Amino acid sequence: MPRPGFVLDVDKSTPPILFHHGEQFRLERLPAGRSRVIYPAEPIEALEDPEGAIRHALLNPMGDSKPLPDLLTPGMKLTIAFDDISLPLPQMRAPDIRQRIIEQVLDLAAAAGVDDVHLIAALALHRRMTETELRHALGDRIYDAFAPHGTLYNHDAEDPDNLLFVGETKHGEEVEINKRAAESDLIVYVNLNIVAMDGGWKSTATGLSSYRAIRHHHNVKTMEQSKSFMDRHSSELHHSNWRQGKVLRDAGIKIFQIETTINNNTFGTDGPLSVLQKREWEWSAKDRITFLGMQKGLDVMSAKQRRSAFHSWRAPYGLTSVQAGEVEAVHEVTLKHCFDQHLVAVEGQTDVLTMGLPFICPYNVNSVMNPILVMCLGLGYFFNLYRGKPLVREGGVLIMSHPTPWDFHPVHHPSYIDFFEQVLADTTDPAEIEQRYEKQFAEDEWYRHLYRTSYAYHGVHPFYMWYWGAHALKHLGRVIIVGGDPKSVRRLGFMPASTLQDALEMATDVVGPQPTITHLHNPPILMADVS
Amino acid sequence: MKALVFARKPARYVAAVLAGRVVSGAGAKVGPLKLHEDHDIPELPGPGWRYIKPRLAGICGSDLATIDGTSSRYFEPIVSFPFVPGHEIVADLVDPANPKAPADGSNRVILEPVLGCVARNVSPVCEQCAAGNLGNCMNIAFGDLSPGLQSGFCCDTGGGWSTLMVAHESQLHSVPAHWTDEMAVMVEPAACAVHAALAAGITPGTTTVVVLGAGTLGLLTLAAIRSIAPDVTILVVAKHPEQRDEARKLGADHLAEPAEIKRAVRRLTGSKALTNAGPDGPIDRLTGGAAVVFDCVGSSESLADAIAVSGPRGRIMLVGMAGHTELDLTGLWHKELQLVGTYAYGTEEPAADGTPRRTFDLAMELVENHDLGRLVTATYPLNRYTEAISHAANAGRRGAIKIAFDLRTEKERDHL
Amino acid sequence: MSKPTRLPVNGRSLGELAVRAARNSGATAWRNAPFPLRAPTVPDGVTPLRPKAKLGADYDTEWARSYPARFARVLLVEGLVRPMMDILAAPKIDGVDRLHDLDGPVIFAANHHSHVDTPLLLATIPEPWQHHLAIVAGADYFFGNRLTAPLSALAIGAIPMERNKVNRKSADDAAALLDDGWSLLIFPEGGRSPDGWGQAFRPGAGYLSFRCGVPVVPIHLEGTGDILRKGRTFPKPGRTTITFGSPLRPAEDEDSRTFAARIQATVEQLADETTTDWFNARRRAHAGTTPSLVGPDTVGAWRRTWQLGANTPKRARSQRSWPKL
Repeated sequence: MPRPGFVLDVDKSTPPILFHHGEQFRLERLPAGRSRVIYPAEPIEALEDPEGAIRHALLNPMGDSKPLPDLLTPGMKLTIAFDDISLPLPQMRAPDIRQRIIEQVLDLAAAAGVDDVHLIAALALHRRMTETELRHALGDRIYDAFAPHGTLYNHDAEDPDNLLFVGETKHGEEVEINKRAAESDLIVYVNLNIVAMDGGWKSTATGLSSYRAIRHHHNVKTMEQSKSFMDRHSSELHHSNWRQGKVLRDAGIKIFQIETTINNNTFGTDGPLSVLQKREWEWSAKDRITFLGMQKGLDVMSAKQRRSAFHSWRAPYGLTSVQAGEVEAVHEVTLKHCFDQHLVAVEGQTDVLTMGLPFICPYNVNSVMNPILVMCLGLGYFFNLYRGKPLVREGGVLIMSHPTPWDFHPVHHPSYIDFFEQVLADTTDPAEIEQRYEKQFAEDEWYRHLYRTSYAYHGVHPFYMWYWGAHALKHLGRVIIVGGDPKSVRRLGFMPASTLQDALEMATDVVGPQPTITHLHNPPILMADVS
Repeated sequence: MKALVFARKPARYVAAVLAGRVVSGAGAKVGPLKLHEDHDIPELPGPGWRYIKPRLAGICGSDLATIDGTSSRYFEPIVSFPFVPGHEIVADLVDPANPKAPADGSNRVILEPVLGCVARNVSPVCEQCAAGNLGNCMNIAFGDLSPGLQSGFCCDTGGGWSTLMVAHESQLHSVPAHWTDEMAVMVEPAACAVHAALAAGITPGTTTVVVLGAGTLGLLTLAAIRSIAPDVTILVVAKHPEQRDEARKLGADHLAEPAEIKRAVRRLTGSKALTNAGPDGPIDRLTGGAAVVFDCVGSSESLADAIAVSGPRGRIMLVGMAGHTELDLTGLWHKELQLVGTYAYGTEEPAADGTPRRTFDLAMELVENHDLGRLVTATYPLNRYTEAISHAANAGRRGAIKIAFDLRTEKERDHL
Repeated sequence: MSKPTRLPVNGRSLGELAVRAARNSGATAWRNAPFPLRAPTVPDGVTPLRPKAKLGADYDTEWARSYPARFARVLLVEGLVRPMMDILAAPKIDGVDRLHDLDGPVIFAANHHSHVDTPLLLATIPEPWQHHLAIVAGADYFFGNRLTAPLSALAIGAIPMERNKVNRKSADDAAALLDDGWSLLIFPEGGRSPDGWGQAFRPGAGYLSFRCGVPVVPIHLEGTGDILRKGRTFPKPGRTTITFGSPLRPAEDEDSRTFAARIQATVEQLADETTTDWFNARRRAHAGTTPSLVGPDTVGAWRRTWQLGANTPKRARSQRSWPKL
C-alpha cells in the first residue's frame, strides 16, 4: 500500500534533505525546530490492464457523450489532437499513453470505415515536435501510417490559412482554433494530466489555438488572479479557457475528450534514480552508495554530458486513470485522480519556502533549462502547487536551488535569448514588460519563421514564462537562488547565494530572525493543500 | 618648460609596438614618448600666433595608437618629429604684454587643432578651407609649418601635453566664463561626434541607428545623434556597465553587449537573419538591419559587425580611427552599403535653411546641453604619464571614459 | 607400417588382432573384430528389446538448457548470429512496444520462409524472452542424425516436434517447458514456404496456448525468403522487417483450430501493415479484406506465381557464360 504524502517537522535527528539542483543534487540541513519538509505521496497503484481500461473508457463515456464507436461514421472527418512534448516530464517509457489510446481510437475508426483522419500535435505556441519525439509519443505504427501522407503534423498557430475564428466570449475573448480541427465532424483530444493545470478546455482552447486567442488568458492580469493556476476552480486562467470552450461548444464543434492521469513513479522504484523518490532516513546502504556514486559521477561530467544523461531518462510512469467523453465531466474526474496522487495537507503558511529545482520543466525537454525557465519553474509551477493559500506568506522569501547558467538552446529558444539580453536588462516588472515589449516579440517575422519551420518556441513564449511567475513576484518579498550563476540570477532580478545558510541569512533581512521554513520536496510532484 | 615629447626613435618604436600588442597602453613605458623637464619653448611661427598655456589636455584614441605603435604608416608624411602630443586642449591665452603673469582663468580658450591653410599661411587658401571644410585641408604638410595634420602632431606648434605651446588665432575659441575646464576639454572630441552625426544624413524617415562602442567617441556620437534626431531609435553597443549607465543617460533607447549585437539589431528592426553554419547555427548576418551604423571602435571586428547589421543601402559611419583592417567586403557590395569615413570638423549646415555653422560652436552647445564635462573621469599630472596612458588605454574596463592631463597649478585650479 | 606394439594387458591376442586388422585394413577389420570390440549378436531364442530411439522427436534436449549450454548460446547469438544477421538481413524491428504489458512465458508464432528466420528471430526477440527461448523445430529435419540433433539443440535451443503425425511426447515436452517458464518460438506453418506463398497455420501453437494459458505473440517476417528461400544454398544479403503483433489469448468460444486461424489472420494483418501502413491494415482487417498470405487457391500453379509477382524481386539470373568459340 503506497504511503500518502506528509509533512515532516525537522528535528536534530533529521538527516540532510535532498534538494534537486538542476542536473545535480545538494544535501542540505534545515534548522531544527522551525523547519518542515513536505514529502510527496508514494506512487499509487497503476492500472493492471491499461489497454482494457482505455477500451472501457472509450465505450463508457462520461457526461452526455455517446460511446466513441457511435460517433464514428464512414465518410466523416475525424481529427485526433494530442498533448505535445511538454507532457509528461520526463518523457515516459514506451509505449507512451498517447500511443496506446490513439491506436485504440484509430482501430475503432478503422472498424467504422473512417477514411479522413488527421492527427495534430496540439502544441499551441510551443516548439514543433521532431520526428523522433512524435515516434516516441505515438509509436512507429501510427507515425508510419500517417506522417508520409501529411496527415500527422504539428499544429501551426501562425498559419493564417489553417486557423478558424470561431467567435468571442461575452468577456470579449477571441476564440480561434486549428481550422482542420474546427471543421471536423469530431475532435478526439488525447490528454495527459501530469499536474492539475493541464486538461479540460485548456486542451483544445489553448492547445489548438493561436496567439490571437491565447493572449486573452496568458497575460499578467489573468495570471495574477489565478491563485493558483493549479487549482482550476480558483484560476482565472481556467475560467477564461472554459469561457472559450463554451464558444467552441456553442459553435457546434464536437469534442470527445480522453484524459489520463499518471502516478508519481518518476524515478522508478528500483534502478539508479530510485533513491530520489525515497525519504532520506530510509535510504539503504545501497541507496547511499548509488547516490554518492551518482553525485561524484555528475561532478566529473561536463554540463552537456549531464544534460544528455538526464534527458535520456524515461520515467516508468504508471497509468492511474483514463476517462473519456464530454470535456467538463471528464475533467472533474481527472482532477480527482490527480489530487489523489498529489495533494498533501499542510497546516498554515511559512516565512521562507525552499525548493530544489530539477533538470526539467515543460519547455526544455531535450533542451537547455535557461534562466527564464528557472524562474518559470520555481515561481510559476512550483510556487503555484498549492490549493487554498500559497505555502509562503505574503512578503515571505522563496529560496530555490539551481545552477541557473547563462545558457540557452539556440534553436529552441531564440526569442528567450533576446528576452533575457534585452527585455530583462531593462525591467523585470511583468506588467511593464507586457505593455512595452510583448507585441513586438509576438509579431516578429523572424520568430514566426523559426516557430513555423524550425523547432523554436513562439516569439511571445518567454513572456508567458514571465507571466507564469507574476503571481509569485507580486506575493513574495524576495527571491534567492542558491548556487546560481550570479550574473544571470541578478538579471532575473533575484539575489544569488552560494550556500543555503547564506540564503537563509539573507532571508532574515526580509522576514525577520528565526523564520519558519518549509521545504517542498518536489519532484515527484506534490501539491500542498494549505489550510 | 615641461613636455611629453614623442621623438623618432626606431628601437624604442619597435619596443612600443611589441609592448602595445601585449598590454594596451604599455607603449608609454618603453616607447619613444618621454617626459622632458626642460623642453625648448617653441618659437612663434609668425604673425597671428600666440602662446597658450594648456590647462587640461585630453588623451585621445589616436594618441594611444601612436604611443602603442599601432597607427598606420599613413600618418608618417603628415606628422613631424619630435612632437608634443595633445590636441584636445583648453588653455589660458598668454598676454604678450605680460607673459609671466599667472593665469586667472579669465582668458581661457579651446584649441581647434587642425592646422589648415590659414595657420600655415598658405594663400590663397585651398578650396576645402575656402568651403569651410577645415578637416579636409589639402595643405597639411605644406606652407610655413612643418607637416602636421593637427597641433599635437607638428614639431613647430608644441602640443597639449606640455605647459606651453603656440596656437594660431584662427584656432582659438573662447570659453564661456561659467564653464569648467572639463567641459571645455570635451569640445574637440564632441566636435568630431557632431560632424559624424551630421554627415550620416539621418532623415526623419530613419528608424534605427546603431552606435558601436561606448567610449568617449561613442557616447559623444550618441549625444550628437540624439540632439539631431530626437525620435530615432538608437541602439548602443557597450561593453562595460559604466558605459551602459552613461549611454542610457545620454538617450540610448536600447543597449546591447558586443556579443549580443546581431540579435539586438535583428529584434529591433524586425529583420530576418541568416547563418553560415546550417539552419541551427548562430546568426551570421541580417537580411534587413539598421539604416545607419556608427562604428566608434574602428576594429576589423566592429566593421564586420557593422556590415552584418546594416540594412540594404545602409550607411556605415567610420568614426573610430581604423588602420590596417582585414575585412570581408562581400556584404558591403551585396547590400550596397556606404562606408563613410568621418574625420574632424569644419563647417556644418545643420539647419534646414542651410545656414553654415562652425562645428565647434555646435559642439559647445552639445557640451553645454548635456553637461558633458562629467565624462572626464580622471586627470593626471604630466609626470604620472605612464599611469595616465595605461588608464586611458583601459578606460572601459576601469570604469572610466575620458582621461586628461591636468597642467594647472594648484592655484590656477582653485581659481575657478 | 608401424611395428606392432606390445600392450601390457592381454598383450598377445590384442597385439595379434591389431596386426591382423592393420593388414586387412578398414571396415573388414572391424567386421571381423571379436567381441567386445564388436557389438554382440543376439541369441536366437531371445526377442530383443526395441532400441531406445535417441533421435528425431525422442531426442532429449534437457542438457541444452543447462547453464553452460545457455551461456554458450548467448555467446553464439551475441558474437556471431547478431552481427551476421545485421549484415545479411539488415533487420528493421517493429512493434516491440506491443509486448510492454507482457511478462512470463509466451509463444511466438511466426511465418516461415527461410532458414534465416530462426537466427534472425534469435537475435531480435527482445528480453526477457530472448535468452529463455526454445525453438520448436521439425524433428525429422533438425534432429534427424547424431550430428544435427545436438547442434540444433545447442546452437538454436531447438526442441524436436513431430510434424508429420501427432506425437504426444513432443506436445508434453513443449508444455512442460512453458510451465517451466520457458518461451517457445513456433513456425505454425510447419515448414518453410515451398513457393513464396505462406501455408495454412497448424493448430499446435494454439493448442499449447490453450493448454498452458500462455499468450501467443504473432510475428511477421518480411524479406527473409529473398535472402535464402527453400531450395537455395547460398544466402544473398537483403533487407528484412520483423513485426511483432499484440499478444493473443484464446477467446472463450474458440478451439485450437479457430484460434490458429486467428493467429494466421493476425500475421496476415501484420504483413499488410508492413507493406502498406498500420491504419490501412486496420481498416482492411475490419473490412475483412486483409490480403491472404496463403495465396489464391487455384489449380494453375502459374497463377500463384503470377500473383506473387509484386513481392518477388525481379532480377534476372546471372547469364550463363558460354565458352568463346
